[in-house]
Amino acid sequence: MLRITDLFAKVEEKDILKSLSLTIKPGEVHAIMGPNGAGKSTLGNVLSGRAGYEVTGGTVEFNGKDLFELEIEERAREGLFLAFQYPVEIPGVSNMEFLKASVDAKRKHHGQPELSAVEFMKLARETSKRVSLDPTFLKRGVNEGFSGGEKKRNEIMQMMLLEPSLCILDETDSGLDIDALQVVANGVNEMRSPDRSFIVVTHYQRLLDYIVPDYVHVLANGRIVKTGGKELALELEEKGYAWLEEEAV
Amino acid sequence: MSEQVEELIRKEYAAGFSTDIISETLPPGLNEDVIRFISGKKNEPDWLLEWRLKAYHAWLEMTEPEWAHVKYDDIDFQKVSFYSAPKSMDDKPKSLAEVDPELLRTYEKLGIPLHEQAALAGVAMDVVFDSVSVVTTFREKLLEVGVIFCSISEAVHKYPELVKKYIGSVVPQKDNYYAALNCAVFSDGSFVYIPKGVRCPMELSTYFRINEQNTGQFERTLIIADEGSHVSYLEGCTAPMRDENQLHAAVVELIALDNAEIKYSTVQNWYPGNEEGKGGIYNFVTKRGVCHTNAKISWTQVETGSAVTWKYPSCILRGDNSVGEFYSVALTNNYQQADTGTKMIHIGKNTRSTIISKGISAGKSSNAYRGLVRMNPGADGARNYTQCDSLLIGDKCGAHTFPYIESRNPSAVIEHEATTSKVSDDQLFLCQQRGLDAEKAVSMIVNGFCREVFKELPMEFAVEAGKLLEVSLEGSVG
Amino acid sequence: MTDFQQQALTIAAQQQSPAWLAPLRSQAANEWRNVIWPTRKTEHWKYTSLASLQKTLLSLVNTSAANTDWKSEVEFIDVNAIRLVFVNGVFDAANSSNFSENIVRFSQANSAQQKIIEQYLGKVVEGSQHLFATLNSAWLDDGILVHVPRNQTLDQPIYVVQVSTLGEQTLSVNQRLLVVLEDSAQAELIEHFVSTSEQQNSVVNALAEIVVGDNAQLQHYRLNLEEENIQHIGAVHVNLLRNARFRGFTLALGSKLKRIDYQINHRGQGAELNLQGVYLPRNNQMVDYHSNVQHWVPHCTTSEVFRGIIADSAQAIFNGRIYIHKDAQKTLAELSNKNLLTSNKAEINTKPELEIYADDVKCAHGATVSQLNDTALYYLQSRGVSRNEAEVMMSFGFINELLQQIAEPAVHHYLLPRLAKLFGRDQTLLEMADE
Repeated sequence: MLRITDLFAKVEEKDILKSLSLTIKPGEVHAIMGPNGAGKSTLGNVLSGRAGYEVTGGTVEFNGKDLFELEIEERAREGLFLAFQYPVEIPGVSNMEFLKASVDAKRKHHGQPELSAVEFMKLARETSKRVSLDPTFLKRGVNEGFSGGEKKRNEIMQMMLLEPSLCILDETDSGLDIDALQVVANGVNEMRSPDRSFIVVTHYQRLLDYIVPDYVHVLANGRIVKTGGKELALELEEKGYAWLEEEAV
Repeated sequence: MSEQVEELIRKEYAAGFSTDIISETLPPGLNEDVIRFISGKKNEPDWLLEWRLKAYHAWLEMTEPEWAHVKYDDIDFQKVSFYSAPKSMDDKPKSLAEVDPELLRTYEKLGIPLHEQAALAGVAMDVVFDSVSVVTTFREKLLEVGVIFCSISEAVHKYPELVKKYIGSVVPQKDNYYAALNCAVFSDGSFVYIPKGVRCPMELSTYFRINEQNTGQFERTLIIADEGSHVSYLEGCTAPMRDENQLHAAVVELIALDNAEIKYSTVQNWYPGNEEGKGGIYNFVTKRGVCHTNAKISWTQVETGSAVTWKYPSCILRGDNSVGEFYSVALTNNYQQADTGTKMIHIGKNTRSTIISKGISAGKSSNAYRGLVRMNPGADGARNYTQCDSLLIGDKCGAHTFPYIESRNPSAVIEHEATTSKVSDDQLFLCQQRGLDAEKAVSMIVNGFCREVFKELPMEFAVEAGKLLEVSLEGSVG
Repeated sequence: MTDFQQQALTIAAQQQSPAWLAPLRSQAANEWRNVIWPTRKTEHWKYTSLASLQKTLLSLVNTSAANTDWKSEVEFIDVNAIRLVFVNGVFDAANSSNFSENIVRFSQANSAQQKIIEQYLGKVVEGSQHLFATLNSAWLDDGILVHVPRNQTLDQPIYVVQVSTLGEQTLSVNQRLLVVLEDSAQAELIEHFVSTSEQQNSVVNALAEIVVGDNAQLQHYRLNLEEENIQHIGAVHVNLLRNARFRGFTLALGSKLKRIDYQINHRGQGAELNLQGVYLPRNNQMVDYHSNVQHWVPHCTTSEVFRGIIADSAQAIFNGRIYIHKDAQKTLAELSNKNLLTSNKAEINTKPELEIYADDVKCAHGATVSQLNDTALYYLQSRGVSRNEAEVMMSFGFINELLQQIAEPAVHHYLLPRLAKLFGRDQTLLEMADE
């Protein structure tokens, strides 16, 4: 599915990722935890191709392709999905129009016909219900005036519509109350399947009570310093990160 | 609160004294003979006299600009004297020891000691008194690294190629009415050349003083920063308190060649006129710089003086990746009027400009920001950011913003923001409640309002500018 | 006097009008004679050339029946309104509704209505400042009065359509509207200018004078949809009295010459202005919007938003002036102007201006050129949308933000698909999203 080898990346002249390696097989859920500033969000942005995140070394192979050869939108169409920590508001662009454009782009990429407006509306309404988002949100501008929780649910709804093979959840739990967290987690769990993988980036162990990972990695100082099972998350909760950071230097 | 403030405002203009000195002053009036006299007095080569006369004839055909948001009585150019020089300057003193002690005392009184040992550390100074440069300090030391800093009259003789090549190259003779006038009658000013790759080891500074009655000052400054060089230049201006309006029409041209950087700071404190609006300097100045590839020009100005100010220090961003900056504080009080701002002309690719303008209006004054940001078709990826803030103190003044924004390039980005507000009662109350008096509170708030600009000034000037603002504001809270 | 001024006077002399309008007309003709013809040095015409207008040979509208070919090309806004249709300036009774008692053409005004017209006509507009308003008065052959008495709320919008078609000659079309809302009255007015795909090099001079009385409210739309050859000079002059509210929306496609002035006077305390505008010139067209909001009295509010997308070799001009007079304390005024250039031959000249003579005010303006939010573009791309489509989507979103705020659903329904088409957006989806 995804093979990251010896990845280096910098942001604004500052090295953030330093020799990060990670391999993810189909169906696996990997949690990435770590202290603030460890490069957790950088990883998602680098993988999705955001401008300003400069790759200075290493390779990433995604479903057999060199990820860095692909444009942002091509990566998306190939099945890479990043659920943002802070989804941006795009006033004036209706959510519905935006969602249909994304779904159509992906379908076209895979040689499928575009959906008619009616078909799509139906699909969108059904999907919005799966994440307990009122269908009226479809009519509003993209994320415009959405609360934090609504934005996150909109992210999960997009994930469901686009059916990606690799989902990266970037601190999806931040700023969510327990109810919203459950909705999001249920959405993710519904999507789990043998051919779909997840990278769950989080600062807290809490989310992992709901989305149970196969592996937990600790990212510190730009690379993975420890890997374990789900019990590692509990250990981190108890002991913090400092003991690992010291090792990482 | 208002009483204290009014008292403050009535504080006298500190630089308002005049110097009793024997001067040679041309009788008022302007004609070809006057221009020939000025040129002759300076022993100028023929080409320069021709150049002056050409400008004079162009000027005769031109009309005064009317678009500025200022009102003043027509200037009778036949009543202005276009040349005045201290008698003692007939044989230009070779060193400070030869300078008329009365002149030196004048500058000491203004807080500008000219003796090199007493002078501000690390600042070389050219001193222009009415129409002539009196003295330039630290010249030898500068020459050691190849930096030329002298009066423009001297440069005409010593460095004719440089002067000939660059004079009028940034501000054409016919650029505007006052620029044309300046070309015809300019008497002196400063000349700076920084050689390739040299970082000027000290701040260069010119101090302008108008002393003689009914005299106009028409100085001309030319700064050339050769490739990869760097210079910081400051100017200051004062004049005695006189009941008549006096004219100051200067031209400043800056040339920043590839990778060069020029920082030009002004603290303008010409006599602003009295509280009834009588007297004061008409400050009609053209300042412009051209930036070649990767070059940078940064204008910082603190304008507190003059009865009328008309001034737009500008940057022509010709070379790719060049940078223009304009930081301005303009404060008007009593009947002062200011129409000031900048022009940023983006020609090269990826050129960048920043404009930060802070206008403070008090009394019955009028204070306008006028600016132009133009993105030419070739200015791919160019960016401008403009922030204009106005602060009103009292309800008898005016604060205006006239930004012209022109773009012909889809990849160029322009952002302009302007706000107007007053010193809020809440802010005042907070300061007072913490034990500050009203004046102090206002001057603190105003200083805070201007911080972004002050931080661009060289250290000694920043402190000076803050104090100047305080004095100029005194009594303005009603 | 220029040739154009001279010609215009000749036409003025030929115009027929009710006798009681004669004094206004002759006064205007006199003023017109002394008008100083603007040049590029005239501040308010700095970027807009009147050269094409000067080259136009004007002729009077032929009052004989206009052809009806236009009907297949022009779609009205589907609104339950009192509709008044003019074709090349000539009233088209067949396509218009029956007037209510609130509406009358000047030529048919009874004596009470004449009184109202005489009281207000030419008084809202400051003639000497606006030369084409002077011309409009000099050319005045007829006009429309909308009068809403005290406490009355009109139950239907008033919808005025001006159609420009292909005629035999270059036409000079003069339209005048006078809208008087007495105290606590409420109304909605839609001005709709449209042309057929082939149209003459006509000159349209359309002037509205509007008085919104104490506590009265007006919703006003001015849609300038004529394209290509039409030369349109339009103006909306408004006086707002105590606690009056004016909510305006305007949209302009470009043409050979399109200049629209909004002149708003806050004359009563507590008045509120909310004005939004969109301009979309393409090809070689131009649009010039000038707004001038005058705060004469304290406690008034202005909120103004204009956005434009300038494509191809088009040119747009925006000038937004807010003037706070000496006693207008406690004014809140805000203006925002944002522009996108989508071609390297397009041009924008914008000037937001503030002139302020009162200290206890909060005023701000902002202007931007060419800036789609990078983060938003990235977000769209990260969902598989191509860069190009993301840009188009966001460009449309940029004006859609204003379209969404249109209070009259019929106007919204009319504009949305037309503009979506201009941007190549899927209109079905937009409409469905819109329902």
